[in-house]
Amino acid sequence: MNDPSTIVLSSQVALLRMTDMLANNLSNLSTNGFKGQEMLFEEYLGEASDGKQASYVQDIGTARDLREGPITQTNNPLDVAIQGSGYLVVQTPLGPRYTRDGHFQIDAQGQIVTSQGYAVQSDANTPIVIPDGTRKITIGKDGSVVTADGAIAGKLQLVDFADDQKLLPVGSNLFSSDQTPQPASANTTVAQGALEGSNVEPVLEITRLIAANRALTYNHDFTNAEATRVSNAIDHLGKTV
Amino acid sequence: MRALNIAATGMLAQQLNVEVISNNIANLNTTAYKRQRAEFQDLLYENQRRVGADSSDNGNIIPVGVQVGSGVKAAAVYRITTQGSLTNTNNSLDLAIQGRGFFQITMPDGSTAYTRAGSFQLSPTGEIVTADGYVVQPGITLPNNTTAVTVNASGQVLATIAGQTNPQNVGQLQLANFPNEAGLEALGGNYLVETAASGAATTGNPGSTAFGQIQQGYLETSNVDIVSEITNLITAQRAYEMNSKALQTADQMSQTLSQVQ
Repeated sequence: MNDPSTIVLSSQVALLRMTDMLANNLSNLSTNGFKGQEMLFEEYLGEASDGKQASYVQDIGTARDLREGPITQTNNPLDVAIQGSGYLVVQTPLGPRYTRDGHFQIDAQGQIVTSQGYAVQSDANTPIVIPDGTRKITIGKDGSVVTADGAIAGKLQLVDFADDQKLLPVGSNLFSSDQTPQPASANTTVAQGALEGSNVEPVLEITRLIAANRALTYNHDFTNAEATRVSNAIDHLGKTV
Repeated sequence: MRALNIAATGMLAQQLNVEVISNNIANLNTTAYKRQRAEFQDLLYENQRRVGADSSDNGNIIPVGVQVGSGVKAAAVYRITTQGSLTNTNNSLDLAIQGRGFFQITMPDGSTAYTRAGSFQLSPTGEIVTADGYVVQPGITLPNNTTAVTVNASGQVLATIAGQTNPQNVGQLQLANFPNEAGLEALGGNYLVETAASGAATTGNPGSTAFGQIQQGYLETSNVDIVSEITNLITAQRAYEMNSKALQTADQMSQTLSQVQ
């Protein structure tokens, strides 16, 4: 009896969750290395009261859009943008985390760190320390950090994963993973003095937002029509008895 | 409805972005001002279906989960410490640093502040002071009858005194360097102070290893690039609008839901 309403409800729940996701994409329009998310919907067959099958909707997953964000020049020597597939490795108190946000700084000990103060790892899994009094830092395409006198302070570790979609976003532009990271391909390079922006395309997000809004309204109209139908049915059937 | 709060975090972030950009534009003509940039990070995610969880007894796993983020936060507003260009002022007490380093200034409370704004003056006693009257360390006093003053690239202050042929060395300016210049805290008035993040200052003579040289008669201009600031301002404004659109839509959706019969 309640089938039509519960089917519509399944869609409404999914649409509200999609709106939250779209709002999150839009709020991260200026977040470095941010990857927009997309909601995947799936038909879910449930048994209806008459023994036949009814088709519900389920938001089965969120997929990350892995396209590269636009590269913007900052001219800050410690900003690096990754070109190609791959992640930089950051050592946090909870273990290694992976990021494409290459906005780094030097801490009081001379280590290259993220905005949270987590050390960026070299390919030898150690922090990269810039000697005190360094005038100029050059970061090569392969990630090697060279100080003015030609000494290599370390090489930024670039890793990649068999399945990027399985990375878990943990906030602060970091991802965690259960997979064992592989060294990134030789085609993955870094650009110094630049940052990768967010890959969210506002036009698409706004369009999806409008579509979700309208879909919710249609669902709502349907719910109201269904409520009227049920109450009419009760009225009319009640009269004939 | 989480979307209302998420959109609000986005609007707050863009508001901060506009504040930082307008401060840069306001300081377009401030001597040795270093432009700032706001950096943002995503907030925590809620795993509504965990990726990689089993979807059946046979070990099938979910290829993608449902992860809904909760918005954005400001991670850092940092100074971009690139060299500003030098402008000629022909004023003998205008000193620009070409390269790394900061002048050390004694503040009224006795602490040391650091600045790259080298528009210095003389105090009534002939001491070299900043525009606010704070003494430039190590405290160099020019003799009374000085006719000209020369500051060379390595920071030696030479005074030409009336009636003497050879200029007299009256002091040596020293510069301070930090492991992390971006970690210095701004006090306003072009002054910066040391913090735990900046690391301890190391001092040295201008022109020595890792220290910049002094250019007399020049001032370092602000490194603000007006074209990129205006572009950033437009981008920030549009992003603000997009987030307000998300807020409006979320509001409309909750209104729709509240009208269910």
